[in-house]
Amino acid sequence: MMLARVADSLYWIGRYVERAEHLCRLSDVMLTATLDRTEAATQVARIALAAVGDREDAAKARNPYEAALALVLDREDHGSVVSSLSRARENARQVRDQITTETWERLNIIHFRMTDPQAAKAFAGGSQAFLHDTIADLHLFKGAADATMSHGEGWRFMMLGVYLERAQLIGALLEVCFGDKKRRAITDHMALTSLLRMACALEPYLRVYTADMQPRFIQEFLLLDEDFPRSVRFCTARIEEHLASIGRPVETAGLVGPDRLAGRLRARLQYADIDEVQASGPTAFLGAVLDECAGVHKAVYEAFVAYPLEQRLPA
Amino acid sequence: MRRGRPSVDGSVAKAGEADKGAEATFALAPYDEMLGPKLKVRPHYAALADRLSTLSPKELAERQRTLERFFLLQGITFTVYGAESSTERIIPTDLLPRIIAAEEWKTIETGLTQRLKALNMFLADIYSGQQILMDGVVPRELVLNAPSYRRQMQNLYVPHQAYANVCGSDLIRQPDGAFAVLEDNLRVPSGVSYMLANREASKRVFPGTFRGAGVRPIDRYPDLLLTTLKSMAADWRPNPQVVVLTPGVYNSAYFEHAYLARLMGAPLVEGRDLVVHDNMVYMRTTTGLRRIDVIYRRVDDDFIDPLTFRRDSGLGSAGLFNAYRAGNVVICNAPGTGVADDKAVYAYVPEIIKYYLGEDAILPNIETFLCREPAQLSHVLANLGRFVVKAVGASGGYGMLVGPHSTKAQQAEFAAALKADPDNYIAQPTIQLSTAPCLIDDAIEPRHVDLRPFILCGEKIVVTPGALTRVAMRKGSLVVNSSQGGGSKDTWVLTDGKDLEP
Repeated sequence: MMLARVADSLYWIGRYVERAEHLCRLSDVMLTATLDRTEAATQVARIALAAVGDREDAAKARNPYEAALALVLDREDHGSVVSSLSRARENARQVRDQITTETWERLNIIHFRMTDPQAAKAFAGGSQAFLHDTIADLHLFKGAADATMSHGEGWRFMMLGVYLERAQLIGALLEVCFGDKKRRAITDHMALTSLLRMACALEPYLRVYTADMQPRFIQEFLLLDEDFPRSVRFCTARIEEHLASIGRPVETAGLVGPDRLAGRLRARLQYADIDEVQASGPTAFLGAVLDECAGVHKAVYEAFVAYPLEQRLPA
Repeated sequence: MRRGRPSVDGSVAKAGEADKGAEATFALAPYDEMLGPKLKVRPHYAALADRLSTLSPKELAERQRTLERFFLLQGITFTVYGAESSTERIIPTDLLPRIIAAEEWKTIETGLTQRLKALNMFLADIYSGQQILMDGVVPRELVLNAPSYRRQMQNLYVPHQAYANVCGSDLIRQPDGAFAVLEDNLRVPSGVSYMLANREASKRVFPGTFRGAGVRPIDRYPDLLLTTLKSMAADWRPNPQVVVLTPGVYNSAYFEHAYLARLMGAPLVEGRDLVVHDNMVYMRTTTGLRRIDVIYRRVDDDFIDPLTFRRDSGLGSAGLFNAYRAGNVVICNAPGTGVADDKAVYAYVPEIIKYYLGEDAILPNIETFLCREPAQLSHVLANLGRFVVKAVGASGGYGMLVGPHSTKAQQAEFAAALKADPDNYIAQPTIQLSTAPCLIDDAIEPRHVDLRPFILCGEKIVVTPGALTRVAMRKGSLVVNSSQGGGSKDTWVLTDGKDLEP
């Protein structure tokens, strides 16, 4: 039994935490890559910024440090790491009785580090260490949740948020790198490696495809790999699983249940063929996947949170 | 055990230091919890005093920091909301526990049980036949004109006649060592979570001393609270659904609401999660509506139902009171209990106990002057510098004048307010609350404290063997409320000694 409002909060904690981790990783890769002052490095910076929605800002790409600092610590920016984590923490505070103390403590520690008045100084003093520690703490948060929370409805809503956000973020990253809008294909080895690092995929990729960096293989890996936890296919499989465990909401006329949408999405990824995707252009495929993710998000909200009362009143 | 020299500031005997001039003659030296006559350590404090003598100020400061970090990490904070951002603060907690001997607690326990029993009988009477008013024991207009009197509660059935299910009475120890009741809190008493959190923290700070002392456990409180709440609906529902109703995260006591909900395993709901349909109360879950039987409400009377009370409230649920009246849900504490913890009604509590139970009050009241009586008003006005004057409707330490600590200008201002609205004020002589040792800036110094035990009343009355000790952190201050800079301490109620396992 779970209050609708609480399910909503847990779902958003999942989304915000996943978002924060991704942004930290993007910043980290951007800063590391741009230590080499090559054109490929600038390309990496542009990819990172485009992936967060800052398209075509060439000036920003030439100041990667400033861009990273803003991406991580700018409180005015709703999309920054500190904003995402503050919202996650505020949501967690509202449902404090639903997450275990161990889980709460992890998030609270990260929050204090991020909002500390000395944070900018700490970042300047060692941005890599700062970002690495934040990502590690976010892993600890997820680990604590996995190890200490009951894997009931509450935890599942949180994981639903994590996987939906992850699918959308990886999908957006792929779109930026390989979509039709890309004027110049990415061929540089360092750039491709950096892309994999942004998805935290480098080492697993190497084990499957060896050091052969091919755009086609990378797309296949990040989209369709069955085992890699950050591939879009893996995410959609987990989304379907968690929705199935949450249980079917009351049938509402005119509304497709989120579990059905999730099932269709998972099937799309499971049976996709990389050659067909390449042939018709990744944009079409990615566009459809991202739209369906958004559809699942909306359906979850309408089925479990914002349902009209009239249809649920006891007879 | 070796008797070490306690490192306590011997300024205990200089109590009344805050009083000046003529007022000094009225102030007696406060009772110190740890040091008895001739500064000898009282037996029940011996173990702690010994331990303290082995710790340097630096070590003590380190333990204080451990304590504070524990609170911060747990999120045991209250948030001060500013215009732009919010800051979180921990309520100052002092690491030195306040210790109460087993014998003394027996009196407190029986006294509080007697008091709550009588107060609930008083409420049952006021909201039905009003016999006590007919018999003239308490002035009729005092009760019926009180802002906390709710005529909507008239003739409404309350299970077990338990109107106040959770009561927090504030006790103080007078200079002669006896405990007295300063006031009762029967509406939405808070502080339990600090009592529980202080205990958890205290066990980490003085584990050895704690174990050796034989302290009575208080961790059953959430369990007892749940049993009490369930007992209110047990007569007609096999497994009552209990919820905790909170105003939300922006309430300063939110931490406590979430803490208790979590430890009871009850859902924490806000007004917006509730739906009242056909006089039944439901909560919105992911799979539809689920019926609620008992609401432990931490929202003031005024805000629980816009159809019955304040129309502009968004914190409650429309129709909630109708469901209550129909007997389909139980609200704990019942609305309207404020009439029994009204500061003016307080003066009549000994008579109330006598009237319903035929007994003398085990725990005495503090002498109270009602300014609504002309003779008493003139006495108070003539001696404003000696009294603590309180507004009947206020709480949190606001709207009060502490005579001996006030300036002539403040007294003049207050005198004007008194003359304008005498019904609204009571006055009590300034009592030197007892003092207990606290760690202040690396030294151990005495500070004034009070005691707030918690009593539960459902099918039966249960007094928790522990309490929240509130501390006035500023030297010489008698105001212990957290909203005015007060802090708290863990409270150790000792066992008899016979029941201890090795």
